[in-house]
Amino acid sequence: MSLFTFSHVTFRYPTQTERPALDDLSLTIPEGEKIVVLGRNGSGKSTFLLHLNGLLRPKHGQILFRGEPLDYSRRGLKRLRQQVALVFQNPDDQLFSASVFQDISFGPLNLGLSEEEAWARVREAAAICNIEHLLERPTHALSGGEKARVALAGVLAMRPDVLALDELMASLDPWGRAKIRDILDGYHARNKTVLLISHDLGLVKHWSTWVIVIHQGKAVFSGRVEDLLDDQGIMDETGLLAIWREAMQDCL
Amino acid sequence: MHLIDRYAYSNALRHVDPLIKGGLALWIIVLCLGLNEPLVGLFAVVWMGILAVGLANIPLRTFGGLLLTEGAFLLLATIAVILSISMTQPSMDGGWTIHLGPIWLATSRVSLYQGANLILRALGAAAAMNFLALTTPMVDVIALLRRLHMPGVIIDLMTLMYRFIFVLLESLERMVRAQDSRLGFNAPPMRRLQNAAWIATHLFIEAFLRSRNLQQALASRGYDGGDLRVLPASYEFDVRLLVLGALALTNLLFIWWLI
Ligand SMILES: Nc1ncnc2c1ncn2[C@@H]1O[C@H](COP(=O)(O)OP(=O)(O)OP(=O)(O)O)[C@@H](O)[C@H]1O
Ligand SMILES: [Mg+2]
Repeated sequence: MSLFTFSHVTFRYPTQTERPALDDLSLTIPEGEKIVVLGRNGSGKSTFLLHLNGLLRPKHGQILFRGEPLDYSRRGLKRLRQQVALVFQNPDDQLFSASVFQDISFGPLNLGLSEEEAWARVREAAAICNIEHLLERPTHALSGGEKARVALAGVLAMRPDVLALDELMASLDPWGRAKIRDILDGYHARNKTVLLISHDLGLVKHWSTWVIVIHQGKAVFSGRVEDLLDDQGIMDETGLLAIWREAMQDCL
Repeated sequence: MHLIDRYAYSNALRHVDPLIKGGLALWIIVLCLGLNEPLVGLFAVVWMGILAVGLANIPLRTFGGLLLTEGAFLLLATIAVILSISMTQPSMDGGWTIHLGPIWLATSRVSLYQGANLILRALGAAAAMNFLALTTPMVDVIALLRRLHMPGVIIDLMTLMYRFIFVLLESLERMVRAQDSRLGFNAPPMRRLQNAAWIATHLFIEAFLRSRNLQQALASRGYDGGDLRVLPASYEFDVRLLVLGALALTNLLFIWWLI
């Protein structure tokens, strides 16, 4: 069974007059893959991500999660968000608490865990993300890479099945990225699905097992990397071909 | 803001229960305001200095500098009490008058005493506030208010506002730098004003967008209304501070009783 199935999903922001942000988008996402979402600026990637755990609700079309339509009731959303965690592009949007351990404890406490259990989750997530030494720090006194790892720990503490990241690595240096990638790999190894928006073609080639390409609000591709490379039509239409060639030339 | 915050997180009393620090500061303030005696204010300043520098390891320069700044403002505010200004020669006994052109400045022993009384007591209260601010991060103050059963809404507002101060300070810094590097502050005055207005507008928009993103991020981690729950911090019990604090309070009361 596939993890997510989007069928003809359309979403338009209230202020949007031209083409909607998601325009009749259909795709399926398999479970347990390392997925990279590609697409140009403004193509609708972030909007797509916000649909995964019900933060945005499609105007038309339907989203299935493990075969069931998304339940937008309060309880349904709570269950969904426990399973599908989002990390936002800018960690500052996510970190609201004044100190690191408190911020990480927010999700677990929302799940209804006791304080002891929440502490255990905080420690576990901190260990995974290598930020044990930062737990007592104020959130505003962290570097960009540290903030990113704290934001990641904040959702890992909820032990989600699906981890979706919106360009979290964009502002990190290669070492910072490698660290995050290790964390994601570790997480994926426990049979979890990791999905991330990225403009890093290296990541697509050497890391991902599945690629989604979004173009002008439509999903033009969802499949294995090799198949994408073979599909000259899509590569051409989305402008990926030219960039890809350039990137691969750089590698030579 | 950054300076105070830095000490709040790194001082030697960082992990002491904020109830002790907050309670002590509150009592000092109450005594300074309640007891009408300038020496109480003076001793409060000295005691707070001893505790901040001696126990919390705050540099004397920082503590003193902060207090001097506040003192300067207090001095400005009390000038009206100390000096009386008039266009005619004031008639008073036991005072001093200076005569600057058509203006007469006058003061007396009584008004000098009143001025000193005001300044010293206010400074004592300020020193207590500084002690709290320099030794206790805002998080702990907020957590303390929570323990004292302050309503959750207020607590959450304080948490978010505190967090947003830094987020917006960062944005402000970025915008100012962006303008500065394009000579935005070397422009003609009118233009400079426009640039400043631009920053203000965009800071406002940014705050709005940020709050929307934050709302989404909170919802994404399972928040569906009610209090923003996070783990409470754990604190130590510091006997030294407790004893010295009690000593300071008794000392202030004793001075008042003595005079
Ligand atoms: N809050 C909003 N209000 C109105 N329009 C929006 C809003 N957010 C996004 N849009 C518009 O919706 C479209 C898709 O935006 P989205 O943020 O999903 O793109 P994206 O693929 O994530 O882009 P990027 O790579 O720049 O992050 C864009 O045309 C954008 O202008
Ligand atoms: Mg985006």
